[in-house]
Amino acid sequence: MSYVLGFEEITKASLPVVGGKNASLGEMLSAGIRVPPGFAVTTRSYVEFITEAGAGEEISKILAAVNPDDVTSLDDASTQIRKLIDKAPMPPAIANAISEAYALLSKKCQSKELPVAVRSSATAEDLPGASFAGQQDTFLWVRGIEEVLEKTKSCMSSLFTARAISYRIKKGFPHEKVLISVGVQKIVDAKAAGVMFTLNPLNGDPSKVVIEGSWGLGETVVSGQVNPDKFVVDKIVFEINERIVSPKTIECKYEAGKGVIHCDVPRAQQNISCLEDKEIIALVKVAKQIEDHYGCGQDIEWAIEKDKPFPSNIFIVQSRPETVWSQKKKEPLLGKKTAYELLMEKALSQVKISS
Amino acid sequence: MAKEKRFSYAREVKIPKELEGWEEMYPPHRLFSGERQQWEDTQFWYQDKIHAPEPMPPLDEIFHQAWQISLAQHTTRIFCIPPAQGIAQRMVGCYMYICAITPPPEAVIKEKAELFPKRTFPVFGNYDRLWDQWLPKFQALGRELAAIKVPEELPKYMPDFDSATTLPSVSPAHELLEAFNNSVNIMYRGWQYHFNLLNLTYLAYLMFADVARKLFPGISESAIGKMVAGAEVSMFRPEEELCRLARLAHAEPKVANILKTDRPAASKIGSLREIDAGRHWLEELDRIKDPWFYVSCGSGWFHHEGAWYNKLDVPFGYIKSYVERLDKGEKIERSLSAIAEARDALVNEYKKLIKTDEDRKSFEDAYKNVRSIYRYAEDHLFWVEHWFHAIWWDKMREFAKLFVKRGVLKDVGEFFMFNRLEVPYLIEDLANSWALGENIPTLKWSEKAQKRKKILEAAAKWNPPPALGVPPEVVAEPFTVMLWGITTDKVQDWLAGVAVRPEQVTELKGFASSAGVAEGKARVLKLLEEIATLQPGEIMVVGNTNPAWAPVFSKIKACVTDIGGLTCHGAIVSREYGLPAVTGTGTATSVIKTGDIIKVDGDRGIVTIVKRAKS
Repeated sequence: MSYVLGFEEITKASLPVVGGKNASLGEMLSAGIRVPPGFAVTTRSYVEFITEAGAGEEISKILAAVNPDDVTSLDDASTQIRKLIDKAPMPPAIANAISEAYALLSKKCQSKELPVAVRSSATAEDLPGASFAGQQDTFLWVRGIEEVLEKTKSCMSSLFTARAISYRIKKGFPHEKVLISVGVQKIVDAKAAGVMFTLNPLNGDPSKVVIEGSWGLGETVVSGQVNPDKFVVDKIVFEINERIVSPKTIECKYEAGKGVIHCDVPRAQQNISCLEDKEIIALVKVAKQIEDHYGCGQDIEWAIEKDKPFPSNIFIVQSRPETVWSQKKKEPLLGKKTAYELLMEKALSQVKISS
Repeated sequence: MAKEKRFSYAREVKIPKELEGWEEMYPPHRLFSGERQQWEDTQFWYQDKIHAPEPMPPLDEIFHQAWQISLAQHTTRIFCIPPAQGIAQRMVGCYMYICAITPPPEAVIKEKAELFPKRTFPVFGNYDRLWDQWLPKFQALGRELAAIKVPEELPKYMPDFDSATTLPSVSPAHELLEAFNNSVNIMYRGWQYHFNLLNLTYLAYLMFADVARKLFPGISESAIGKMVAGAEVSMFRPEEELCRLARLAHAEPKVANILKTDRPAASKIGSLREIDAGRHWLEELDRIKDPWFYVSCGSGWFHHEGAWYNKLDVPFGYIKSYVERLDKGEKIERSLSAIAEARDALVNEYKKLIKTDEDRKSFEDAYKNVRSIYRYAEDHLFWVEHWFHAIWWDKMREFAKLFVKRGVLKDVGEFFMFNRLEVPYLIEDLANSWALGENIPTLKWSEKAQKRKKILEAAAKWNPPPALGVPPEVVAEPFTVMLWGITTDKVQDWLAGVAVRPEQVTELKGFASSAGVAEGKARVLKLLEEIATLQPGEIMVVGNTNPAWAPVFSKIKACVTDIGGLTCHGAIVSREYGLPAVTGTGTATSVIKTGDIIKVDGDRGIVTIVKRAKS
């Protein structure tokens, strides 16, 4: 196993080595979906890093002493462990591998120091989702190898947030078994971004793609900071059934010297749809492609890159299985009726037309 | 509903004084009356803009008289659709209003609920056989109508006869009366046949639409229509024949060159007759003329519209443009098998998404049910409203010509100023004037006709109220819901819009009939002849479309109509061409002016007037 794998080398079989998020990105890339290029820092890197830093034993000691029901105890343990990890030096072999990968990536994207997103990608299925792996499992607009290495370590250390520690102890999950990978991916300088579901999250209707989006980077939509535009599209006939343009007052963007900031959207732009119809339809087509590839409902993050021509400006940043409706018990909606029974029902019915 | 939220009653409507005397044009039972006022006040009446968007020429009212009985009886007495009753009609100021009669008492609904399944369910499983019976039966009726002999003259003296062997039983005057009565009987019978299968078609559609909406909430009417609509239906044959004739012509350069010239059809026919290939082509045209060129140039409801076979400039104009497109190597036919395949693929895609086996079974059953019968909705339209009506008008014109010949009427159009109950008066009056002797006067029918023409012209300038009376709580009658699209929103729009003047309107709502959004210059067409003014890339705004308009769709950017729902011709063809369309707006042709920049949102059924043309 290598320390680093490019997305183009990754498929879903790579999950134990690169975690769910990275495996998904590699898989989509192999299916011909436009995913921003990048690489994964493998679980081997994590294990060797922790081992060589001698942190493994130290961490075990701290964890053994934790009282899982005491919040302060958890917080203390977490702080200690994370400091340990952040301070520990990355083994040269690993640091070199990451450096090379980053340099290659920057060159490929015609940049001296490519702005990237650094994200943790958990491996175990029963490891809780993003909200448990840590509040800061995504770092945006990371530039230069030093920062990349620094943020990589931060992602790794986010395995040890108080909540994550508590969860694992309660579940009896040994910490040595929990592995993490880190994804380093070109950041899309987004004109507009957001999420989409390959079903209607309100009612589970599988014939729709529901898109939510706003100006700038997708963080505002994902984190719920903004009222996004919403488009409900029938993905069989490609008709936009519902179109809600919301006043979009804040956007998240990169500003030189400041980094990623939240700022006000100019008045004139607030009430304009963040997506054109052709972009909406293109997104729906990609969503369908992803859903067909995985064979189940998907929860997808997308971004439209600035200053790039349509349709090569449309990127998929992430996709994961939709978890709400796929878990629900499937009940028949039509009441097991035959056509004649339905006809009888209709024949007996009256349309209420008064308000 | 609040007491004040109602429309005027018929008696409260201010009818312009130029329409004075309008009541005499229509039979008494077709007017609002004091005698039935109590009942009439309990019903909700709305203007039928689908079938009667223009002021009603008296003789053209016959179709509506016939369908009032037939539509209703099939619902109430034949198929017994439980809470539904018929659709009644009334005339106000030369415009026709209809109402879906409120449900019958509970006890009756229960009785009908017993009868309904027994009588209707077998229809679906046996549609093909029933259609194979219906079509020849109907075609025979149409030919019977065509075969009626209308005397061409009332001679001064009957032709010589051999009194030893055969005496004349009757005179042409009697034959005239018989001919007209027979024609009327056949017309009424034709409309009896029209509804033999139609009510169930609509019920099945509504049922399937409900199924689709339960499984896929928010699914558009246009998507449902795409799944249900047939591609191999009689309504599309006329255009197919046009394409075929265009190809035949294209294969013969001499014929093609004649057809491509800018001359009236009659002149082209003259030139074609002079060459072998031309005569051959004309024979082909004659062969398919009946029935495929019996397609109306309008809706099929008015005598003045004409049809392709008697307004040959129209189909010849289309053929010319098709031949020119063939010259450029373009494809002119719509591939009906491709359309059918696309439709089937669509249904399968939706079906794949259904989560439970039970639902899938129900969906398949419901779909099979509606598909088995739905083509009737599309097929009957051509045979009845186009072919049959065309034969009727030809026949009526034969009567009219005789009146003109005898100097009783000045022109053929005047004949249509008398309703079907009055025409026998004219015939009897003429018969008497002929039989009684020399120079026996008739009543001044022509004067009456002239007066009525003026009333109709004045009525055309008037904007009648969209509805009368108190909007109902519920509607059970399937045609009302589906065909006329009577919904709460529509009624609210009417209530709100009654006070608004056409120039003030900036937005129109209708059916989202074909997806997509387009913006461009509007071209308002009131008559088919105006089609020549349409520029490529314009947005067509018309009262309604029908097969006669089909060739236009390759030129336009979008389509807006006054009347018609998701399954009207304009909607179907727009979807095939992938053009946005909003149909059934009610007032598009009166509110939008040629040159206005409009935006057509076929996803939401909204037409916005972006910029008015400079007047």
